[in-house]
Amino acid sequence: MAGPTVKPPRVATGALLREFMVPVVSVAIAILISSVIILLAGFDPIAAFAAMLKGSFGGGRQIGETMLRATPLMFTGLAVAYGFRAGLFNIGAEGQLFMGGLSAAFLGIALAGMPRPLNIVLMIVAGAAIGAAWAFIPALLKAKVGAHEVITTMMFTFIGRYLVSWLVTGPLRADGQIPQTERLPVESTLPRMHEVLPFLAQSRAHLGFVVGVLLALFIWWVLKYTSLGYESRAVGFNPWASETGGISVPATTIKALCISGALAGLAGVTEVMGVHLRLFDQFSAGFGFTGIAVALLAKNNPIGVIAAAILFGALSAGAGTMQLEAEVPAKVIFIIQALIIFLVAAEQLARWVIRKGGRQEVEHAG
Amino acid sequence: MLADLLTPDLFASAVRMATPLALAAIGGTICERAGVVNIALEGMMLFGAFMGVIGAMYTGSAWFGVVTAVVAGISLALVHAFASITLRTDQVVSGTAINILATGLTGFLMEVIFGHPGTTDPVRRLQPVFSFSGPGDGALATVWRWVDTVFLSYTPIVYAAIFIAIGGHWALYNTRWGLRLRSLGEHPRAADTVGISVVRGRYSAVLVSGALAGLAGANLTLEQVGSFTEGMTNGRGFIALAANIFGRWTPGGSYGASLLFGFADALQIRLQLFRDVIRIPSQFFLMLPYVLTVVVLASVVGRAVAPAAIGKPYEKG
Repeated sequence: MAGPTVKPPRVATGALLREFMVPVVSVAIAILISSVIILLAGFDPIAAFAAMLKGSFGGGRQIGETMLRATPLMFTGLAVAYGFRAGLFNIGAEGQLFMGGLSAAFLGIALAGMPRPLNIVLMIVAGAAIGAAWAFIPALLKAKVGAHEVITTMMFTFIGRYLVSWLVTGPLRADGQIPQTERLPVESTLPRMHEVLPFLAQSRAHLGFVVGVLLALFIWWVLKYTSLGYESRAVGFNPWASETGGISVPATTIKALCISGALAGLAGVTEVMGVHLRLFDQFSAGFGFTGIAVALLAKNNPIGVIAAAILFGALSAGAGTMQLEAEVPAKVIFIIQALIIFLVAAEQLARWVIRKGGRQEVEHAG
Repeated sequence: MLADLLTPDLFASAVRMATPLALAAIGGTICERAGVVNIALEGMMLFGAFMGVIGAMYTGSAWFGVVTAVVAGISLALVHAFASITLRTDQVVSGTAINILATGLTGFLMEVIFGHPGTTDPVRRLQPVFSFSGPGDGALATVWRWVDTVFLSYTPIVYAAIFIAIGGHWALYNTRWGLRLRSLGEHPRAADTVGISVVRGRYSAVLVSGALAGLAGANLTLEQVGSFTEGMTNGRGFIALAANIFGRWTPGGSYGASLLFGFADALQIRLQLFRDVIRIPSQFFLMLPYVLTVVVLASVVGRAVAPAAIGKPYEKG
């Protein structure tokens, strides 16, 4: 115990700083370990990470690509983080993302000829609703019979993927060799960022990035200042105490998992409206699963999700350059992701490194 | 059409499809009975499937591939055990990390070793254990065809899974090992008090589940397919967890539930042969095992009781 001699604000800042240091140090250790793996596989890790840096932040186009990759991760990261806050593990964000993408691809064509702002709003709302709906049955089963959401949302991911696969090869298929839906008319797409930020010229970064950042701030506010957010956190923290305190645990569980699904659905909407402008089988590069890593690295803090999404967006944007220039297979980024999850979750290693580095400061804050 | 559908091949195919699910489900049973949740069965199976092909490829022996697959499963299990038992990390989070790690490792090694993503080169598969010749015609021929196909046509790991289910079920309720294992998941503090090492017991349970998941992977690549494709486990590790719950955390029940899922899978494959008659898109058949899993979980879970200390790290105190 520090005792009365230590000024409270100092302790708070120190604690906050150390809280922030754990993810940072974890990322550093993960990069170190993956360097060893890259070395063992017979490649040059320094060249690899240099190429990765160049591919993710080396210029306007590269920064734009990083923003582009970060966009869906913000939504799925928020989705998983919101679930975790309520004590739910939405491992099936990928499935809700698929359904969001599906609704955007369908609605975008149906709304052809309507004003662009109206379309954007309608498509976003519809995508969130479909994402929520796709999470509703797992949520109901969790609340009513206690079926674990890890299994049910995972199963709904496979069901959703096959549904999309059927629709793009069958009823919604456009003419042509490749099974995909028709290209969206311009009024059903999200504007590109370079229209206002010429600096990002030639990158595909789109308005979805801004939507994601604003949404993160909004979710932060919801969790912190609304009764909905309070109830979600209370149930996540201690369901029994919440029930005693008059919060309906089943109702809160259903609401929280549906909100999570809605957020994940938006990732699919913005990918279709901003990047691919149509729907096909493989339109998501596992963003729903990477969202888990994003949420954990952010320690389920919505503001932290923005930073974590940009980091994983950079890894993904830089992976291509790394493969091209250092010949390291791009899939190494999944190994880095896994290492980061382990290190953040276990904390001990990072805390030990921090203690060694800042022994003085820790003893003061003690 | 029904006669074309309900052939001995359908049932044999169900048993084959059930095998990887059953092995992983029994792994899940043993792990959860010891109080450790293992959602990394998917990743352990995937890594086992890949390393099985690698082992078989470099030695030319499918049997050696089985060994490397099991070792691969155990090695990821060791990571899970260290994270969740020693470091007391959230078990579901650790499992997720292992699943992502397995996806990354298999994809990465695939490109390092084969120079391309997707599917590995084919390897020699394990052959069926028996090959008897029965009567070729007459009334007995049909009976023989059923017996031969449904009971005598399988590869070694398929039989091994049946033995593991029966043996494991017996051992869980009739041996000192089984009693100790159950105590770890129900009341670790009590187990500790009477001198059972919770840490050692849980480590061994997690490692056994990894070995079984690795064996499940070997069944996929070295018996069923003959090569490895990225992501080929396709959610089987999660279906296996559902089978374990449906089987009420017993090895025999896990096998039985897996047989149900295996039958659904065999049926959907078989039904696709009748596409001209039924006219339902293939994707709906492919959904069947996943839909069934949800239905089964929805109908059974309220009445199935999980080990009391499941998912909780144990702190000696």
